[in-house]
Order: sequence, then structure tokens, then C-alpha cells
Amino acid sequence: MSHTTQVPHRRPVPEPSGAAATAPPPARRRPTSQQWAAWAFLAPVTLYLALFYAYPLYRNIDLSLRDYTVRSFVQGDAPFTGLENYRTVLDDPTFVPALLHTVVFTAVCLVFQYAIGLALAVFFNQHFRLSATLRALFLVPWLLPLIVSASTWSWMLNSDSGVVNALLSAVGVGPVNWLTSPSWSLTSVIIANIWIGVPFNLVVLYSGLQSIPASLYEAAALDGANAWQRFWRVTFPLLRPVSAITLLLGLVYTLKVFDIIWIMTKGGPADSSTTFATWSYQLGFGNLLPAFGPGAAVGNLLVVAALVFGLIYVRVQRKQALS
Amino acid sequence: MNSFSRRRRLTTAALTALAVVTSATACGGSGSTGAQGEDSGTYAIWDPYPQFDKSSAWAKLLDGCGTEAGVKIKRTAFDTSDLSNKALLAAQQDNSADVLIVDNPVVSTLAEAGVLTTTDDNELDTSKVDPNLLAAGQSGGKTYGTPIGANTLALYYNKDVLNEAGVDIDSVKDWKSLTAALEKVKKAGKKGITFSAIGTEEGSFQFLPWFWGAGAELTELDSAEAVSALSLWKDWLDKGYAPNSVLNNTQTTSWQEFASGDYAFSENGTWQLANAEKAGFEYGVLPVPGVSGGNAAAPTGGEFVTIPVQGDTDRYATSQKLAACLTSAQNLYDTDTTLSYVAPTSEVQDKQVATNAELKPWVDAVKAAKGRTSDDLGTKYPKISEQLWKAVQSSLSGSKSPKDALTAAQSAVK
Amino acid sequence: MNPMNLTNRSPSRTWWKTAIGLLLTAVMLFPVYWMLNVSFTPERDMRKSPPDLFPAQGTLDGYRRVLDEQLPYLATSLVIGLGTVALTVALAAPAGYALAKLRPRGGGILNFVLLAAQMIPGIIMAMGFYAIYLSLGLLQSVPGLIVADSTLAVPFAVLIFTAFMSGIPGELLQAAKTDGAGPLRTFWSVVLPMSRNAVVTVSLFAFLWSWSDFVFAGTLVNGGAHEPITLGIYHYIGNNNQEWNAIMATAVVASLPAAVILVLAQRYVAAGVTAGAVKD
Repeated sequence: MSHTTQVPHRRPVPEPSGAAATAPPPARRRPTSQQWAAWAFLAPVTLYLALFYAYPLYRNIDLSLRDYTVRSFVQGDAPFTGLENYRTVLDDPTFVPALLHTVVFTAVCLVFQYAIGLALAVFFNQHFRLSATLRALFLVPWLLPLIVSASTWSWMLNSDSGVVNALLSAVGVGPVNWLTSPSWSLTSVIIANIWIGVPFNLVVLYSGLQSIPASLYEAAALDGANAWQRFWRVTFPLLRPVSAITLLLGLVYTLKVFDIIWIMTKGGPADSSTTFATWSYQLGFGNLLPAFGPGAAVGNLLVVAALVFGLIYVRVQRKQALS
Repeated sequence: MNSFSRRRRLTTAALTALAVVTSATACGGSGSTGAQGEDSGTYAIWDPYPQFDKSSAWAKLLDGCGTEAGVKIKRTAFDTSDLSNKALLAAQQDNSADVLIVDNPVVSTLAEAGVLTTTDDNELDTSKVDPNLLAAGQSGGKTYGTPIGANTLALYYNKDVLNEAGVDIDSVKDWKSLTAALEKVKKAGKKGITFSAIGTEEGSFQFLPWFWGAGAELTELDSAEAVSALSLWKDWLDKGYAPNSVLNNTQTTSWQEFASGDYAFSENGTWQLANAEKAGFEYGVLPVPGVSGGNAAAPTGGEFVTIPVQGDTDRYATSQKLAACLTSAQNLYDTDTTLSYVAPTSEVQDKQVATNAELKPWVDAVKAAKGRTSDDLGTKYPKISEQLWKAVQSSLSGSKSPKDALTAAQSAVK
Repeated sequence: MNPMNLTNRSPSRTWWKTAIGLLLTAVMLFPVYWMLNVSFTPERDMRKSPPDLFPAQGTLDGYRRVLDEQLPYLATSLVIGLGTVALTVALAAPAGYALAKLRPRGGGILNFVLLAAQMIPGIIMAMGFYAIYLSLGLLQSVPGLIVADSTLAVPFAVLIFTAFMSGIPGELLQAAKTDGAGPLRTFWSVVLPMSRNAVVTVSLFAFLWSWSDFVFAGTLVNGGAHEPITLGIYHYIGNNNQEWNAIMATAVVASLPAAVILVLAQRYVAAGVTAGAVKD
């Protein structure tokens, strides 16, 4: 509903059911019967969340607040140590680089995934031969289990027998140690992750584009707006809600990306591509002797980070709804 | 109303699931008495051999052992890196498998967690097993299982490449002569040596022969000997005798590099023997040399058969029969032949060498090998190993000198 | 119909777009091609340097093994994928409607919980499910895996439904109400048909996620009578050795039928969406 305010003075043909451009949201009064109905609709998902997410989440929090050894993990008598695990993690020399890599990885991936996804969505939103088929093909990377796609990337980026270096040498550029040099490893995993994230952005944004009523473009075209102007004045503003959710979800998914990095570089060499997600896994599972407590603590820090962004999102959304 | 119907759908789904499971176990356990998942006639065996499916010799062997003991076997195969977590979780839920086959360095961790019974309790006979192999399953004076097979590392070499480079393999006796050989190979336009220095347990496993070969000890990662071992690898990388990709190589990847026919040497395991036959060039096997001659001790690989702790102690007797069956001489021979492992007892080793002379150097290497968790390192080993592979990675990638990397590793272990 | 092509509707003037589209798709799918290439590569050429761009001395070994061993798994994957789609849409669409249009008290918190839920690392979720299922005896069951797989998609689906459904004009719902329709009827006959795009998007991702899921499958149904195709990969991962041509061949065999479904679905969807647009 918020986006109605984003179409300034360009009300299209007055159409009673003109999809997006309509009156402000219904009154903020909340009748009780509607409340009941609302929660009846929400009940299944709430129950579902409580059943299937509460336990793992509780477990992760519990793990992070106790001093678990493998023995006490099995026997279930780990002493409660409060925030000790968090302190351990904060003092760890890996903390600062991991934080930095997480921020860089997430920001760069988000920007590129969204920009490329949007460009492709706009491109495929036009009618030309094969457009539907090609768009569908863009989803093929998603059919592959991550273990396969990430392995393929590490195959292609191999320093000695990788196809990327072979192509580079064909155009006269020396080999790059994509995965084994501390200065390139983060770049490599970012490239692979952008590749994996583009289809998601493309599909969601494309669906968003489809919901924009044609009449708006017709009106804009009548006003003499060129394609560029139509994009910035019509498409982009109307895509705001879908863009926001795409970016937010992208953020959440990117923050917790671990398989790709783990398979390609194991967070290395020398922690040069370690993010919070891989670090958490490294602590909890990457070793013969798991450190469950600190591993869970790092995982929870990630949850908190996502919650902060979620809070910002909810705030902004509410502000827009009220305005 | 809407929510009600959905909830009912969920419940229905759950009930269906339950029914499926119960019926599956019910019709599966022909000789069983109850319809419960864990009935007295069905014994669960977990192994790290997902490559063997239901029709494989291994699965048939398990079923055969079950029939012998008068029980039905329910086998689950896990990816080896998954298995220790699963075993811990199952133990936490008091739902462990009856017989658990795990990678040897995990045994001490599971023992520490109280998941495994000792051989005193379960009465497994380990008297015939080579003591150096059994050591990996011992901690605090107790033994927690018996090996099903062993493997270790050595150097495979490509005879064609060495001939072309004019290297006489008999001249390779210590690190110096090995490095000289690599230099000749490189001059001849071929590639030197490949190994795996990846940032996981595999990386430590591959580094250990050099580490031990230099005379270093796992209790002192920053000794001069340790630095010399890491410097050897670093030097090879700097001079281009070893490819940069070793930093990211698993042992499979490094084998694939060797199989391309370009490399003179490859540090790899017993299990590659079958692949070596298919490689399409003449190969040989050489023990990893020590710094100034002799053979370096290599780490032992391979799995242990263990019997996890059960609430119902009556089950041990049958579990013991199953474990004994799996490690009987004939079955060890069959299993280790399939896995391309060396058997853990001299009796079976002799039989293996008699059938296949290629195994001779491997049997010798296994006899000289050393358990990673031996010397009563036990659960200290995983921490040391993690620091060791990190040091290898940071040194080979050029972010730290070998000395600094190992000094940092030693201080992190403490 | 489609707004962007008002000026250039004739095919002769759009061929260059098709060309660009083909080029972009080729770049995007290069890694997939590479996977295909590896699946044909014999063991000895796996790490050939420089690599062969085309598997000239290819082998069909990988495929021979996969076709011998893996076909039954495909059906299981299909059942699991469709089950996940059904469960996800059934749970998420009503919730999205309520959050977008019925303004429930506490909806913000629920939104928040949904976000938090997605942040739990997959491996932690899998371990939680493992512990629950182990006690319930639900391990190695297809419905159990469907429920687990749906957790990949449900929070996402609710957020997507909310975002799309909040675009439905309030007057329409008001009109339905005036006509005497209750919330359930409004949802079923007005909101759901208008959210076709969202349903399609959500179904697509729910299907894709469950089809390619490896973590839940590996944790929960490993060793069961019915395993999805991704677990077929386990056949080729030994404890010391991985057979990459067979692994890649499994991935190819696993993605082909699904890719065909995708392309067909996309055509149907494109047609459906356009039809819907005309109706508006």
C-alpha cells in the first residue's frame, strides 16, 4: 500500500479497479471480528513456527550459554556460563577479520545480485522470441545442489587446471590464484555467490514487474516519457515494496551463506574468506572435536544482525504505511 | 475453520508418516517380536561407506553377520564427516547404533564423550591386532574398539616422467635427493609433486609424514624440526616444484592431478591402488623419506569397529558377535580387499601380500605408521591438528613465514 | 498487453534482443556447461592442464552408473518437491493475506519471528529436526522430509505473499465484504486468484529448494527406502575418494527433468499472467 504515494501526479486512466494506484489503506481501526479472522488465518503458520523453529532456535541459544564439551553434550549436564562463549568469540583474533569479510561479502553480493537481477528482469519483461524459455533457463543453477555448483566453481577457478585461468592465459593474462591466494579468495567466493543469487532476484523482481499495471506505462508513454524515464519514474518506484523484500531476503540469505564458501575455500587460506557463517560452522563442525558453545554463539550473533536489519525494515515499512 | 482443516492436514501428515515408518519396520523385521522401531531382533549398524549400496558385498557381509548372530541388520551409511556428529546426537537422544564404524581419530573424541564401551565391557578380542594400529583407539589405558582395516600415505611416482627427466628413483633417499629429483623433473618440462594441503583434517594428515619425518613432535609445533618440514613444502611451492593448487586440493583432487600423467610424484593413500592400475602409465610406490634418509612415520588412516553404550545392556552380547564377525580373518580379508586397505592383523596381511605383491610396500608402511591420537594425545589431537593445518595454509599462501605460522599455532594450542 | 513492447512488436525488430538474451543465458549457464563437461570426463583428464573445453575423449561411465542406480530416486524427489510446494502454499498464503490485509495485532512480531526463523543456519535446523525425528521415529520418512524441506520456503513464502498481497486494492476487498463475503470467501475468491504471481513465485522456489536440498535429505532420510536424487550423490562420495564424473552426472540427471518442468511451467505461467493482465 505504501507505494501508492510514490506515483506523484501521474494518476492513470481513472479505472475503479486500477490495481496499484488506489486510495490509502483502510482505516486503522481494528474491529475484533477481523482480529479473530486474522489470527485464524495465521494460526497454521504460527503453530508451524512454534513446532519446527522454536526447538532448533532454543537449542542454539542454549548451546551458546553453556560450556559444552563433547561429554556434557551427550550427558546433558553442561554448566551454565552465561555470556562466556560470547566473550571468547569477541576476544578471538578471527573476530575482526570475520566481521569485515561478512560485511564486505554481504554488501557486495547484495548490490550486484540486485542490480543484475533487476536489469535482467527489465530485459526479460520485454517481448521477444524465446524470452520465456531463456528466463526459465536462468533458474537452472537453482536445480543443482550447492555441493555440486560450488564444486564446479572451485573446479573452474583452480589455479592450475581451471578453465578461467586457461581462458585468461589465452588472452595473455597470467594465472590468478583465485582460491589459494589470500588477496583473491574473498573475491572468488563473492563471484560465485552472485552467480547463485541472480536467479532469485530475477524471478522475484520479474514477478513484481508483472504486477505493475500496463495502463501506467501507457499513460507515461502518452506523456512523452522515454524508456529511461519510464523506468525511473514508473517501474522503479512501483517496485519499491518488492525490491525492499527482495533486498531484505537477499541480506538474510547472504549473511548465512556457508556451503559455497566452505566448499570453495574452507574460509581460507589463513582465514582470508572466513565469514561469521563459515566461522560458526568451523567451530561447531569443522573439527574432529566440536566447540558447540562458541559455534552457536557466532551463529546467534548472525541472527541478531539479521534482526537489526529486520527491525529497520519493519520501521521503514510502518513509517511509509502511515505517511 | 480454515485453520482447523489445515491443522488436521498436518496431523494427518504426521500420522501418515508414523504409519509409514511403523509399517516399514514391521514388515522389515520378520523375526521381530514387536512393532517398535528399536525391537530386540533388529540391530543398527552405522558405517562411513555410502559408496556401497544395498547390493554391495559390504552390505551382504553385514546381513550375513546378522544372520549368523540370529538378528536382522538395519544399516545406515553416512558421509564420513557427518558420522561423528550423528553419533554424538544419537547418543544424546539415547538412541545410539548397536555397532558403529568410525574413522580412527574420532574414536578418542567419542570415547571422551562417553559414547563408546571399552573392550573390557564388550569383550571384543583385540589380541591379534598390530599394536601401533590399535593405539589410535586407545586412550587413558582403555581400548574402545578394533580396526577394520588400515591405510597410510606414501609417494606414488610416475616412471615415465622420471625416465624422461633422467631421475633414478633409487637415488631418492632423503629430502635433499627428493628435492633434487623434483628440480630435474621441472627442468624437463614436467611437474614435480602434488599433495593435499587443504584446511581440514586431510591437510594435517598429509603433512604429518613430513612433520614426523623431520623429527618433530605434535606437542611442540614450533620446534626447529617442524619449521624445517613446513619450509620444505613452502620451498617446493615457491620454486614451482609443487602446484599452487595444493592449498585447495583434497586427496582426490591431488590424485586427479597425478592421474593426468604430468606429475612425477603424488603423496597419496593405500586406497588409490586400484585407481593407479587404471591410470594408464607405469607407477611405483615409495615410502615418504625422512629428512636425512630412512622412512618417515606416516599417520594411520582407516576405521574402527566400536560398540556404543546402550541403555539396554543385554544388547552388548549380540553386538559383540556382530563386531567379531566383521573383524574375523576371512571377513577382514574380503572387506580390506574391497576398500583397498591393509588388514590390521599380521595373519591377514600375509595373506594379502601372498595374493597381491603390490601391497608389500603398503604393509610395510602400515607397520611403521603411527596413530594420530596415539601417545595419549587423545582429544588434544583435534585442537593441535586444526592449528597445524592453519599454519600450513597461512605459510603456503604466503601470509606468514613458516616459523611465524608455527609459533602462532603453538601459542593457540595452549 | 505487455507495456514495454508497445513500440516494437514485430519479430524482425526484436531479433537482437533474442541474441542478447541468448548471450546472457550462455554466460549464466557456463558453470552448468562445465559441470556437464566434467560429467563426461574420464578420471585421467579431470585435472588436465589446460582443461579440454569440450569432452572430446569423453566417457559415458558416469552416466552408465547413474542410469543403472539412480532412476528410482527421481520419482521420490518429484513427490517431495510437489509435497513441499503444497504444504508451503497452504501454510503461507493465508498467513500472507492476514498480515497484508487484516492487520492483526502482533502481526509485526510475527513478521519479525519469520525473519529470525530464516536466520537459523541450515545445519542447526537439520540437527534440531534430527533430534525431534529420532525421538518420534520419523527418520527416513518422505512426509517427514517434506515438512523439513518446507521450512526452507515457508518464512520466505509468507513474506512474499505479504509483499504481493498488500498491493491488492482495498476497494476490491471492501466490495467483496459489501457483497456479503466473509474473510474466508474473500481470501479464496478474490485474494488468491489475484495473487497468482506470488503463488507461482513461491511454488517455484519451494520446488527448487526442496529439489536441490542436500542438508535435510542427508540428515533425515539417509539410508531410507525412499531417498531423493540429491542423496544419490552419496554413492560416489567414498570416505577417501570421490568419483566426480558420476557425481556431476547425477547432478545433470537430477536437473534435466526439473529443467524441462521449469521451461514448460514458465510458458504456462507467462500465458496465464498475460491473460490475467488482460482481464484486469
